[in-house]
Amino acid sequence: MTIAQTPPPAGGPALSVRDISKSFGPVKALKTANLDLRAGEVHALMGENGAGKSTLVKILAGMHAPSGGAILVDGVQTALPSPRRAAEAGIAVVHQELLLFGELTVAENVFAGHYPRKGGMVDWAFMRRRAQELLADLDCHDLDVDRKLGSLSVAMRQRVEIARALNHNARVLILDEPTAALGERDADRLLEIVLRLRARGVAILYVSHRMNEIFRISDRMSVLRDGTYIATRNARETTEAELISLMVGRPVDQMFPKTEVPIGGPVLEVRGLSCGPMVKDASFTLHKGEILGIAGLVGSGRTELAHVLFGVTPAASGTIHLNGREIRIASPRAARDAGIAYVPEDRGAQGLVKPLPIRENISMAVLDRISPGGMINRAKEAALAKRGFDMLGVRASGPEQIAGQLSGGNQQKVVIAKWLQTNPSVLILDEPTRGIDVGAKAEIHRLICELAGQGLAILMISSELPEVLAMSDRVMVIAEGRIRATLSRDEATPEAVGHAMTARRSAS
Amino acid sequence: MLKRHGHETVLAGLVVIALLVMSFQSAQFLTTGNMLNQGRLMAEVALVALAMTFVIVSGGIDLSVGSTMGLCAILTGVLWQNMGLPLGVVLAIIPIIGLICGLFNGFLIIRVGMPPLIATLGTLALYRGLAEGISQARSVRGYPEWFAGIGQGSILGLPTQIWILGVALVLAGVILGLTRWGRTVQAIGYSEPAAHFAGLPVNATKYAVYAVSGLAASLAAILFVSRVSTTRSDMGTGLELDVITAVVLGGTSIFGGRGTIIGTALGLVLVQVLKNGLSLAGVRGDGTLVLIGVVLVLTLVAGAFMENRVRR
Repeated sequence: MTIAQTPPPAGGPALSVRDISKSFGPVKALKTANLDLRAGEVHALMGENGAGKSTLVKILAGMHAPSGGAILVDGVQTALPSPRRAAEAGIAVVHQELLLFGELTVAENVFAGHYPRKGGMVDWAFMRRRAQELLADLDCHDLDVDRKLGSLSVAMRQRVEIARALNHNARVLILDEPTAALGERDADRLLEIVLRLRARGVAILYVSHRMNEIFRISDRMSVLRDGTYIATRNARETTEAELISLMVGRPVDQMFPKTEVPIGGPVLEVRGLSCGPMVKDASFTLHKGEILGIAGLVGSGRTELAHVLFGVTPAASGTIHLNGREIRIASPRAARDAGIAYVPEDRGAQGLVKPLPIRENISMAVLDRISPGGMINRAKEAALAKRGFDMLGVRASGPEQIAGQLSGGNQQKVVIAKWLQTNPSVLILDEPTRGIDVGAKAEIHRLICELAGQGLAILMISSELPEVLAMSDRVMVIAEGRIRATLSRDEATPEAVGHAMTARRSAS
Repeated sequence: MLKRHGHETVLAGLVVIALLVMSFQSAQFLTTGNMLNQGRLMAEVALVALAMTFVIVSGGIDLSVGSTMGLCAILTGVLWQNMGLPLGVVLAIIPIIGLICGLFNGFLIIRVGMPPLIATLGTLALYRGLAEGISQARSVRGYPEWFAGIGQGSILGLPTQIWILGVALVLAGVILGLTRWGRTVQAIGYSEPAAHFAGLPVNATKYAVYAVSGLAASLAAILFVSRVSTTRSDMGTGLELDVITAVVLGGTSIFGGRGTIIGTALGLVLVQVLKNGLSLAGVRGDGTLVLIGVVLVLTLVAGAFMENRVRR
């Protein structure tokens, strides 16, 4: 399907962001963000995870107060101290996690917080009629506005949220990764809706990672990197490669410092491992010094496989041999004792105890070893924490700093330091660089290669295909809970991996 | 110091102020006799509050402690008088009953997966119901002299309870602050998934926390029965509120993770000083309650203000 690119009508910026900054404690999420958003344009906001996009969106939504800078709406400086004020200023935001009430009806959600009144009572008839009109405008003629929102699909809920935004006569619509949770057809319909709103003169800020989407609908793109505004480009005068290098701040091929490491004998041998619907008959072998990448779409069973290997959800059937000995892994504790370490996907909730200092986080997996008779040996703990802290080059005031105050990359180093204390023979990394800024990302990659060089067997799960392809000695592709293909470094091209990810069962 | 222990600092200041004010209000207040007697009176609440600190630090709550105490008190009387067991044997059985009550709470919370608030609200009713069913509204009296010595006697001039509390306080402080187990409880309270993913024994630790809470309630029952030399099924009613008040006043976060034994001790002392001092000064009981409520709210606000806390 092609979507016509109509030139944006000329006009001054509907929304201007001038040198906005934002700090959370010692962490600077935004340094200097700048943006001009014109009426009737689709403006893509781009940047890597951690670049500050979401922070900027939340500031414009009135959810965070900026630490400095100014916001101009139609050229007038405007404070946005609350979501309500942002709505009154004509700014509407459709967040990544939809903020709707599942137990209320569609019409009630469209009017949430602004029920129309007639003689002191809620004007239900008007509310239902108006909700219907708004949704019809968004290509949902058949939606029953009395249905409970919770019973609708994600795509439908999203449209209800857009309808709510339009109900406030929003002149600026901010969409934060709107297609992330949508299938292809729903995503296409959403893009059409976006273009229709543009034709009506709405200024649209579109946050997305999907390049092809951005090039299909955007008039201009602005790039943030490390909380700083980098550049704005016209869609017709730029390329995907240029945008990526603006986002990462260097030519892409320097991103992954893969070093060749001699690969040794088998360390982890998994045969016929199954657990529930997400891990089916997994068999593979991981060698000493090898980085085995796992590629797959979200929900393909990648993390579930890691959880079975780490004992979070113990296997229903199959065998696991570690260094030639068969082991049973019934809990993370058993996995740790066997020599398996897992750096989880959700760093904030599973990887770290954020309110505790770095020291207590680093010692957490080896408390048994440093507590003879149950009493923690403080001197040993401090020494161990200092060693881990120095070895990984954690940037903080010292091992006593609270882990939650660190940037994503430094938090991840703490998690890795914690697991290295256990002297594991297998290290499972689940999305090791998610939400980590560019510089720290390269550091983590270098660290992973170093660890492989020391003979650690590494299983690396990542949603970022370039990362998997560049870092891995072999790539295992998972789809629908099954290992679909195992490709050598030479065979693993984006096309081959993409094909294996989406191929039907009969094709593999 | 202020940053990490702002709450305890505020609280210690309040205790000093309260002591000063009360001693001006009444000549009887700041006498050795009154102080020692107050120590005796607060023993049951204090013992249970020390255990409750661990429960709340682990991110849970135990509302059933008062009922557990009531059940243990009744069983003490029934096993001894009605079943004819020697009182010494009964005193060995009661702590086991307390442990079982606590472990059953743990079972509901960990195996069945009920929220601690709901599970122990249920057992609050269950244990109290059992206590009333077993007692059939009879009370048991006539305990031997040596037994009364536990709750009414003195060792080296100090009430027995003071010695017991002293030992329990030091033990609890060391366990929470210095041991692997205490660290584990704290990590679970801050983030149970993170503790689990770090290989800490989450379930075993939570079972132990609730078992200790039940055990403390049973020991409180023995102290109480001995002190008043009688057994009734309504003993310990409302104990959970006094206990939780002291622990929360002591700065333990109701969301888990943060909490110290020193804080709980200060919280206990502050409540007792207010209760005793105000009653000596002739303030009515309801006035005292209002003041304790005000102090609780103000202390929490001031403590949070002084500590630049990291939100989870």
